[in-house]
Amino acid sequence: MRVVIAEDNALLREGLVLLLTSSGHEVVAVAGTGPEVLPALLEHRPDVAVLDVRMPPGFRDEGLRAALAARERIPGLPVLVLSQYVEESYAAELLSGGSSGVGYLLKDRVGRVDEFLDALERVAAGGTALDPEVVTELLTRRRDSPLDSLTPREREVLKLMAEGHDNTTIAKTLVVTERSVSKHIGNVFLKLGLPPSDSGHRRVLAVLTYLKDPRSAV
Amino acid sequence: MGQAARATLQLGRSVVMVFGMCLFVCVLLIAAAGTLIVIGAWLFPETVLLIRRIAGAKRHLVASWTGSEIPQAYQPITGRLRERLRTSVRDPGTRSDLLWMAAFYVYGWIGLLTVPLWLLGLVVDGVWSGLLRRRPVVLPLISRLADLEAGWSAALLRPSPQAVLAARVDELTETRADAIAAHGAELRRIERDLHDGAQAHLVSLSMRLGLARRAYDHQPETARKLLDDAQEQAEQALTELRQVVRNIHPPILSDRGLAGAVRALAAGSGLDVAVATDGLADDGPRPPAAVEAAAYFAVAEALTNAAKYSGSPRATVRLERLRTGLRVTVRDEGTGGADETGGSGLIGIRRRVAALDGTVTVISPEGGPTVVAVELPCVW
Repeated sequence: MRVVIAEDNALLREGLVLLLTSSGHEVVAVAGTGPEVLPALLEHRPDVAVLDVRMPPGFRDEGLRAALAARERIPGLPVLVLSQYVEESYAAELLSGGSSGVGYLLKDRVGRVDEFLDALERVAAGGTALDPEVVTELLTRRRDSPLDSLTPREREVLKLMAEGHDNTTIAKTLVVTERSVSKHIGNVFLKLGLPPSDSGHRRVLAVLTYLKDPRSAV
Repeated sequence: MGQAARATLQLGRSVVMVFGMCLFVCVLLIAAAGTLIVIGAWLFPETVLLIRRIAGAKRHLVASWTGSEIPQAYQPITGRLRERLRTSVRDPGTRSDLLWMAAFYVYGWIGLLTVPLWLLGLVVDGVWSGLLRRRPVVLPLISRLADLEAGWSAALLRPSPQAVLAARVDELTETRADAIAAHGAELRRIERDLHDGAQAHLVSLSMRLGLARRAYDHQPETARKLLDDAQEQAEQALTELRQVVRNIHPPILSDRGLAGAVRALAAGSGLDVAVATDGLADDGPRPPAAVEAAAYFAVAEALTNAAKYSGSPRATVRLERLRTGLRVTVRDEGTGGADETGGSGLIGIRRRVAALDGTVTVISPEGGPTVVAVELPCVW
């Protein structure tokens, strides 16, 4: 895959380049400051962009803004946003333009190389990758909701589903058959009163919308 | 006529007061004489306190006539006898009070003029305005007289700029000491968090890497397991670090400013929260970082409590820029009756806010609503 990287910390930038090139990807451009990001994305039109949220000169959320701007100019451009810390509202902003080809992960996750590459490929293929911490936050803050009626296993499935994993990965992670995963998913959708959905990112979107909206609590 | 009556009452009180004070001057003289002998040393600070109370009563009296408060700025007379004595003598308030007293012995009797003025007024104004329907002339003079008396008193009782400054310095010394203590406690907490958390994980990580290196050639399976452990330790260290950073200064404050950060809190609270900002532009001037952080944590705590206990699905957050600082109000329409002794969260907020010279007010009657108001003084 052709990848554009935006990361201001030289150490992390080199690490990312090394990680990606050694796993057979091509890093076509590297941006070290906020203003460089958008032109690089527009010029190279990569298969996927890996962007840091905080970039010079402002050290605020330049990377995130660049990602949103780029997706406005090139609809569906896959972006994986990395951050030192996760903020639910950032995830919401990223997903507001559709959950297709969007990733939002803690920088720490890069350490789990296989999982990181898997997430990157998922995003590049138009899927979703949401940090487990964001999902946990969404799940735990809701009280008195139909979530309480889920079995522990169903909750696990819901969490992995919200992170953007497909049935195969969920089955592998939980060491169960794909058939029982489908059954659990069916139960989750039934209990939460969501319309049954296929396995694509529309499913992720439905789950996230449900988790985000406080008024959907009964 | 009514106005004149009220003015008379006012002046009458002054006359009574000055008369009383003539009696007091005897006490004063005794105290002064007493100070020369040893017993008086104890009496002197007490006398100064008494003078302060008399002056306070007069301030109150004047304020009730003019409608504007006269500020007072005294140094507190506390501690051992020697200190009490020293403050009593050195406090500029003592000197200005004595000056006022001396003057008041003279001008305090001005109120007696009301007697002839009333007699004259009843006759002259009785004819002038009663029969000729003109505006009364003499009776309003009594009001002017009361104004004059109040004016003199206010001028003499107002603390000197030095005294006001001295009082402010005392106050600042105290709050600064609190702030430094809070700062010290905060530093120790951060140190402990880093030491017990991230540092311990890093040591353990380094140890596992060393062991893995030794096992690398002969026991690759063991080495692999050690590397897995090492990675887990590294991840835990990162999690701990993130937590520590978040507690010092939430990163979203740097990214989005207070208004943006509070909106993010509102969105993540699980409640339907309306956020109103008054005078806080996203790209405008920002309050000091410590103030922003305190306000942020206060809102977070209040919203958490609202979500947990209020029973209401809705809340409002208001951020206001004041001339003197920042005011944050969180209100929910829940059941009220919030009990501060139960939760420890609010205590932390109070400490944090107090260190910045601010105040936290919680109003939560049974039946609601609950309003948490935080005021943080600052310049921005």
